[in-house]
Amino acid sequence: MKNRLFISTLGTVIAVICSISAHGQDLDSLMEKSVKPQTVYATATFKSTRVVNGHSVERMKKNQLEFRVSHRFGEFNMGSYYFWGLDQGTIHLALEYGLTDWLEVGIGRSTYEKTVDGFAKVSLLRQSSGARNMPIHLSYLSSLEVISLNTDPAMRQNFSSRMTTVQQIMIARKFNESLSLQLTPTFIHRNLVPTELERNDLFSVGIGGRYKLSKRIALNIEYFYVYRANESAISQSNPTPTKYYNPLSVGIDIETGGHVFQIMITNAQAMREGGFIGKTTGAWGDGGIHLGFNISRVFSFSK
Amino acid sequence: MNKLLLLVAFSLIFLNGGAQNLFITKDAKINFNSSTPVEDIVAESNQATTIIDIGSNVVKFSVLTTSFKFRRALMEEHFNENYMESAKFPKASFNGKIVSPIDWKSEKPVMVDIKGVLTMHGVSSDVNLKAQITPGKSKIIASAEIKVTPEAFNIPIPSAVRDKIAKEVTIKIDAIYAPYQQ
Repeated sequence: MKNRLFISTLGTVIAVICSISAHGQDLDSLMEKSVKPQTVYATATFKSTRVVNGHSVERMKKNQLEFRVSHRFGEFNMGSYYFWGLDQGTIHLALEYGLTDWLEVGIGRSTYEKTVDGFAKVSLLRQSSGARNMPIHLSYLSSLEVISLNTDPAMRQNFSSRMTTVQQIMIARKFNESLSLQLTPTFIHRNLVPTELERNDLFSVGIGGRYKLSKRIALNIEYFYVYRANESAISQSNPTPTKYYNPLSVGIDIETGGHVFQIMITNAQAMREGGFIGKTTGAWGDGGIHLGFNISRVFSFSK
Repeated sequence: MNKLLLLVAFSLIFLNGGAQNLFITKDAKINFNSSTPVEDIVAESNQATTIIDIGSNVVKFSVLTTSFKFRRALMEEHFNENYMESAKFPKASFNGKIVSPIDWKSEKPVMVDIKGVLTMHGVSSDVNLKAQITPGKSKIIASAEIKVTPEAFNIPIPSAVRDKIAKEVTIKIDAIYAPYQQ
């Protein structure tokens, strides 16, 4: 009798414990089950819409307007008379706007060859995990640059001679919180080039990366390989060919609330693809490098 | 032995009965406000999942921090990247219990005290809050407000923006629960 009472008491205790713990687990697993599977997009693959000079896969979201001021000082090897390039400056002003979350358009004006430019950047794929798995970002850029400088007689004859078009694909992946890499195949068409040895069509592949040094500071490196066989060959019509270099840029992104401040060293003077990929004449080797910065301020027109 | 079987059977019934005590919603609203005169910082998510067990008075809450929508896209990015670190800590959750008496049959709004643990940014902190609950057979309406400080959850605010972000963040929750159907 005693024994049976003990067993039944034990049974009750076990049953109660079981029901309580089962109950507790029930709620938690029920919570887990109830949370809808969601797609988590990789955001802030780069801090800015530019890696350094070239475009990144980032763009302005819908109804966000970015005002960008870019500035490059002169070449370091200009010497002390030009205060190592700091006496000189090339400026690019731009307004860039997110029409939708996947389409950005922009216009700009540069003191470099008095260029006016416009572009559209489309985000085709976004890196994501969760309900939808996508290992990379893929964006496409198409832009037009028009040189308004009035000194070249050939350009004065024909308006189309002033135009350069750029087609670019950006493939990027945010590997982790710190590291993002981007591959940037680019095709540039110049309607008019200075000599017949220079190519109207330029193929280039860019690689860029960013490494976050802290939550708000990142190191960016960007290099464009440009295929231009024989361009600098000496010929009768071109006894002193312009030597072009591949642009290499190293920058630091500093983010402060609504601003991103990018400071960099680069051998490119121009701040648009036709310029920095097509016509970079500075060489890192002999100090043909520019100190520069980009300042970005974002304004929101969302309700 | 019969008694034991009876007890087990009874507790099984009790277990099954548990499900009838559950009320759930997957689209509760949470908004938070840490505005200052210099800057409006407001965000809302309507994708919070929450459960009330009217048998044990347990309340559970869970929301993905990436589901919060801001008016300014850049602010949303900074919220996830720099403050909440959503990639590392994707969820914010609350686990608590109603500690003041509540009559689930009354169908009249009542203010209750809830004690529990709020977990976000990988840090758990004890919180007490007041909630207004309107019980009902087919739905339970609840709303609550809670004030937290970023420091309590190990979220540092850099000095450059310290004047733009309120010291205390007000979190408001609105949920309409429906009975849980298996």
